[in-house]
Amino acid sequence: MTRKKRRLVLIACSVGVVALAAGLILNALRDSIVFFHSPTEIVAKHLAPGSRARLGGLVKEGSIVRSDKLDVRFEVTDGNETVPVTYHGILPDLFREGQGVIAEGALDNAGHFKADSVLAKHDEKYMPKEVADALKKQGHWKDDYDKKVGSTGGQVQ
Amino acid sequence: MTLWLVLALMTFAAIFAVLWPLSRQATQGPEADAGADVAVYRDQLDEIERDRRASRLAPAEAEAARAEVARRLLTAAGAVPTTSNQPASAWRRRAVMIAALIALPVGAVGFYLAIGSPLIPGEPLAARNGGPTDKRPITALVAEVERHLASKPDDARGWEVLAPVYMRMGRFDDAVKARRNVLRIEGATAARETDLGEALVAAADGVVTAEAKASFDRGLALDGKEARARYFLGLAAEQDGRREDAEKLWQALLAEAPADARWKTLVEQSLARVRQPEGAGPSAKDVAAAEQLSPDQRNAMIQGMVARLAERLEKDGGDVDDWLKLIRAYGVLGDSDKAKASLVSARKALAADADKLRRVDDLAKTLQLSE
Amino acid sequence: MIPEIGHYALVLALALAVIQIVVPAWGVRTHDAVLIGVAEATAPAQFLFVALAFAALTACYVASDFSVLNVFENSHSAKPLLYKITGVWGNHEGSMLLWVLILAFFGALVSVFGRNLPRSLKALVLSVQASIAAAFYLFILITSNPFTRLIPAPFEGRDLNPVLQDLGLAIHPPLLYLGYVGFSISFSFAIAALIEGRTDAAWARWVRPWTLAAWCALTLGIAMGSYWAYYELGWGGWWFWDPVENASLMPWLAGTALLHSAVVMERREALKVWTILLAILTFSLSLLGTFLVRSGVLTSVHAFATDPTRGVFILAILAFFIGGALCLYAWRAPVLKQGGVFAPISREGALILNNLFLTAACATVFVGTLYPLALEAVSGAKISVGAPFFELTFGPLLVPLLFAMPFGPLLAWKRGDIAGVAQRLLVAFGVGLLAIAATVAGEGGGPILAPFGVGLAVFIMAGALTDIAERTALLRTTLKASLSRAGGLPRSAWGTALAHFAVGVTLLGMVGETQWGAEAIANMKPGETISLRHYDFTYEGIDAGEGPNYRELAAKFAIKRNGATIATARPAKRVFQARQATTTEAALITRGVNQIYISLGDVQPDGAIAVRIYHKPLVLLIWLGAVLMMLGGTLSLSDRRLRIGAPKPSRSRLSPQPAE
Repeated sequence: MTRKKRRLVLIACSVGVVALAAGLILNALRDSIVFFHSPTEIVAKHLAPGSRARLGGLVKEGSIVRSDKLDVRFEVTDGNETVPVTYHGILPDLFREGQGVIAEGALDNAGHFKADSVLAKHDEKYMPKEVADALKKQGHWKDDYDKKVGSTGGQVQ
Repeated sequence: MTLWLVLALMTFAAIFAVLWPLSRQATQGPEADAGADVAVYRDQLDEIERDRRASRLAPAEAEAARAEVARRLLTAAGAVPTTSNQPASAWRRRAVMIAALIALPVGAVGFYLAIGSPLIPGEPLAARNGGPTDKRPITALVAEVERHLASKPDDARGWEVLAPVYMRMGRFDDAVKARRNVLRIEGATAARETDLGEALVAAADGVVTAEAKASFDRGLALDGKEARARYFLGLAAEQDGRREDAEKLWQALLAEAPADARWKTLVEQSLARVRQPEGAGPSAKDVAAAEQLSPDQRNAMIQGMVARLAERLEKDGGDVDDWLKLIRAYGVLGDSDKAKASLVSARKALAADADKLRRVDDLAKTLQLSE
Repeated sequence: MIPEIGHYALVLALALAVIQIVVPAWGVRTHDAVLIGVAEATAPAQFLFVALAFAALTACYVASDFSVLNVFENSHSAKPLLYKITGVWGNHEGSMLLWVLILAFFGALVSVFGRNLPRSLKALVLSVQASIAAAFYLFILITSNPFTRLIPAPFEGRDLNPVLQDLGLAIHPPLLYLGYVGFSISFSFAIAALIEGRTDAAWARWVRPWTLAAWCALTLGIAMGSYWAYYELGWGGWWFWDPVENASLMPWLAGTALLHSAVVMERREALKVWTILLAILTFSLSLLGTFLVRSGVLTSVHAFATDPTRGVFILAILAFFIGGALCLYAWRAPVLKQGGVFAPISREGALILNNLFLTAACATVFVGTLYPLALEAVSGAKISVGAPFFELTFGPLLVPLLFAMPFGPLLAWKRGDIAGVAQRLLVAFGVGLLAIAATVAGEGGGPILAPFGVGLAVFIMAGALTDIAERTALLRTTLKASLSRAGGLPRSAWGTALAHFAVGVTLLGMVGETQWGAEAIANMKPGETISLRHYDFTYEGIDAGEGPNYRELAAKFAIKRNGATIATARPAKRVFQARQATTTEAALITRGVNQIYISLGDVQPDGAIAVRIYHKPLVLLIWLGAVLMMLGGTLSLSDRRLRIGAPKPSRSRLSPQPAE
């Protein structure tokens, strides 16, 4: 095998693997990504039932209804619109009324968002970024959410 | 002063780190550089030899590998050294020395002064606790006593000192704990039981709870003349709706009161309050009476009524109207936290009835409690 | 006084770093041996000053000096001493200080133990290292200063997030940083080589121990982070494809590729240009990871730093070092002479294949992690790229890599005999097929992928054993001869085999957990029993308890198998009053390498409790494999050839070599 041939084999291999990787990525990007929507967007865009999406907003105060079979219903709001969500399973520790939440799932025909996973904000300092952005856009951002820690009355040198 | 000395020493150390290598002659010449490569290749040759001897490598392969490494070895040994053996030129060395002696300290000190705060002393907790007592904030003193008590929880005097301070600071739960400790260590007296009761009342937002009442009863059993206990028992009777009992208790108390007792006015006012005819909720006269009170007292009165309602609802539950009243009251008082809390409780209590829930929600909306 | 000493020490470290950038490089340029020698003293001095700064900050934490803003925000006088100390790096400023401490530590190591390096190369390496350090000192001093003071000093601190008050999380970041920052040495070596325009097999040997050490630390760090998430977050998952996890996975993949390509370069002087590029990319990905985590651009559970100025500053550092390095690479790489030739089927070829697949896999993770950010920046659309994406891209790329892995070490250098190797692997292959058959027979109609996964894992493990058997000529000669051969094998050979074996172990764990894991979610009332995988779980009741700073609701479960009680589990929910935070403490019952995992949900109004029970077969193998991988790396690192103070030529020639 000449030097040139060897190099050709190498290059062919590399191109092959790169093409494989690119193909896999493009294929996966088409099928397995999920868009994030605020309740207002879900209502405005008439999201088709069955297509997967992430829904983010605040859990509406007083909207949580639990059954004894681990079925939970609650509403997610961004201040303008609310979307009813149903979920079967155990909610995260930090799931609370009035707090940020992200539900992943799809709309059913009745307009209920059927979630198969629910994420709550991680701690009091952290709020899912999409939720924060969406709320900001709707003008329902609570400023104290990212209140600067420096404002403690002490003078920072 | 010490700080500046330490900073100066550190600066000297940093300068030294630069000057020291400059003072050394170049001890390693080009051989050292070439030697580094050569050492690796010799080692590789050794390894090939070891592998060959252990027959981990076929003789032909070993030969080929040896030839390749030997070629590298020759290249490395014959390479032109990149560093020269001649001593550094004087001016370059001097330039670096100047940089180390002037630029380094000036730059470092300048930058530090721009961002640092050398005048602020460190304040480790231990140091702050050791200073003269009158210059330290009350919180520091409290914390010091607390620490002392953590190691010696049986020092009754410490608890006795702390309890009134806690009361003033509004840390009523801690006050209760301190009073209990005093009782535990020193045994019961009428005054101590009454102190505990008072702390319990304060912790319950002015409501004489059953626990507090028991404490006052114990105090009174020890000393029938304990005026504060008698006042609070009267208050308990009033809060329970037993107005006649309250009136009787306070009247007796007033009759026995020394002329100069400062609490006399308080008892008289309370007495005036219970003598109002009873009605559902605050009557016109109640309101009139309230208007005569000072704003603080008025507030206390309203707060007391609301707190009692809240306690009853939490304990025994109640109908939707009571809940609405409570939430509205908090709303009027401007206490939105408590309003929200009672909103949550109300929802929980009324969860079974959608119609009532809706009424609660409507109120919440009017008061803008949600969102 | 102490905080100011620390503050000034950091400034002095910056000043020394600036001198260390300029003087040695100038010395190399002018062939001035004295100037070249300056770096050898400034690098350890720099480390001492950063260590002093770190010690000062630690002292402030221990003494609860709340006149330091950082201490006030992240500590509390009543916190246990251990968490006071780990709190030093449990926050943004402190963790960046730890970052530069480790960076300076590696610089000092190169300076002290790099006696076998050519002095000009060493000077350039230290100069590049100092430039990275200087950039980060500036970053800390300007945007994230841990020594910012607060007047008047508050009386009490704000305490550390309870989720972070955990020993696993306390050790995890230093290990990750040892890995991330360790790759800076390979980076500096690569830049130095490009500046000098000269690399050779010796360069690869010098760079390998540093890469290996960093890789070991990163492997362990990732494994610990994964285990922490597994037991602490209460979801039973061990890898979430969270951007922060990906940020540590990318340098690991690139670093693994670098380790292998450096072998080729050391042995054959081939792949020079590629190895240099990998060294640059690996550290660039580490920097990218630092940027992603520290700038708060991510939607991620780990993002506890959110401040745009910081993000922009790190982005500038990132652009400067990555952009600069790649430009230098484009300019100087053509100068490097190509080395040995080899046939496509050869050890070199196998290692190239390894590199191709590893970098391709790394690229998929890269795309999956950054595509959402890029898309949002361009179109404003928000998407999430989760596990399905990575399962569709990363997974398929790993399968051929894993399958090819046993072949690599058996192939000869230069020109390999694939048929011969396949023949030697027949036994391993047979064992793998046997494992598939056994799995199919044992499970009977279980998940389809499982038997193949098990077969692949077994094949990898058997392949690693075959490698050792071949090298010691096991069964081909007497046992005694084999043993003596085994004794003579270099430790790096053992290390390779162990690490490759460990990959099989981890794979087995992953297959077991994902394919056979079972889950039950139920609302249980006291006295109720549910069954999962031959186990019966009886909920016996709940009791409340109190910890030092939390209240706890602990449920009691009796676990029976075939009627006999085997364990009692006490999963709990803790409420930390100070921060009103709830954490779920899952109960883990270990049975061999399997685990039963019980975690609690809400207590229902009617007194029932929501329970999630998992049976996780083989799950411990995932981390056991990672630890073995790390041990393999360490074994290899202890090999005489890579030992940092490599032998002086005179000694290795004159003294008889002890058998290793």
